[in-house]
Amino acid sequence: MKEIIVAVAGQPNSGKSTIFNMLTGARQHVANYPGVTVEKRTGKYSYKGNTVTLVDLPGTYSLTSYSQEERIARDFLLHERPAVVLDIVDAANLERNLYLTFQLGEMGIPLVIALNMMDVAEGRGLKIDTFKLSELLRATIVATVGKKGKGGKELKEAILNTYKGGHFRMGYGDACESCGACLGISREKGHFRVDYGEKLEPILRPLEKMLSEDPKISARYPARWLAIKLMENDSEAHRLVGLL
Amino acid sequence: MTLNDIKPGQECRIVDVNLDGATGQRLMDMGFMPGTKIKIVRNAPLVDPIDLVLRGYHVSIRHQEAKGVEVEEL
Repeated sequence: MKEIIVAVAGQPNSGKSTIFNMLTGARQHVANYPGVTVEKRTGKYSYKGNTVTLVDLPGTYSLTSYSQEERIARDFLLHERPAVVLDIVDAANLERNLYLTFQLGEMGIPLVIALNMMDVAEGRGLKIDTFKLSELLRATIVATVGKKGKGGKELKEAILNTYKGGHFRMGYGDACESCGACLGISREKGHFRVDYGEKLEPILRPLEKMLSEDPKISARYPARWLAIKLMENDSEAHRLVGLL
Repeated sequence: MTLNDIKPGQECRIVDVNLDGATGQRLMDMGFMPGTKIKIVRNAPLVDPIDLVLRGYHVSIRHQEAKGVEVEEL
């Protein structure tokens, strides 16, 4: 039986802990990150013969290295390399929440997105095209209502499917378009990538190429992500490159 | 004109964010970008903080931080 490590990420108040509890039941325990006061919770659940360990990361608006929570979340993703990241998105605050989603996508770890608080979003008259969003973000999207326990089974299925390298699913409840084995669309359509436009791409692309050609760096860090962080003059990114 | 000068009930648009370091980064992470519309909802009884709405959600910031956000009235 394999153990699958899944990081639970999301902005503050997106319902991370509610989803975490929904998936793990009462089996979670509280642990501290070494050396810091911010808590990291881990919990397990079993699904179709697999043990899935969820690591509840601190809620962050982004993944820069300015605050301790952000550094903790980022270091975990970067150095522990979880198999899947479960990104909890507040559907009623989609625009702000997607900023973190983009950063998670750029780190190159397979994403499953829980579009949480769908009832609130719908109550505000928002209609979200999960099909289109899924295609743009290259990630499986599951609509959830954490406080009512809706979408838990679908999330577990999406996490396992993403772990196995399955095709990502075009929105909640939609059928597969490309194969009979899973519900989704081929990953071969390419990875998630933000086009930063004609002013920034000419800086970004040569930097990305240079980093990807360095075997030490490319073995450890996603080149595109590192290039973006270096361009932002991120102190931690400078340190990572300086160490190698 | 900065966000600090806008009265409750008024709307404005961000022209520039003149804040460095963690505060500037945090505001940008939360969607304070040039072009973004902001509505001032109210001031707290003892001046700070200011309650405002942008991109469909409420956020409270200090006057000191609002001073760093350059805006134009709408």
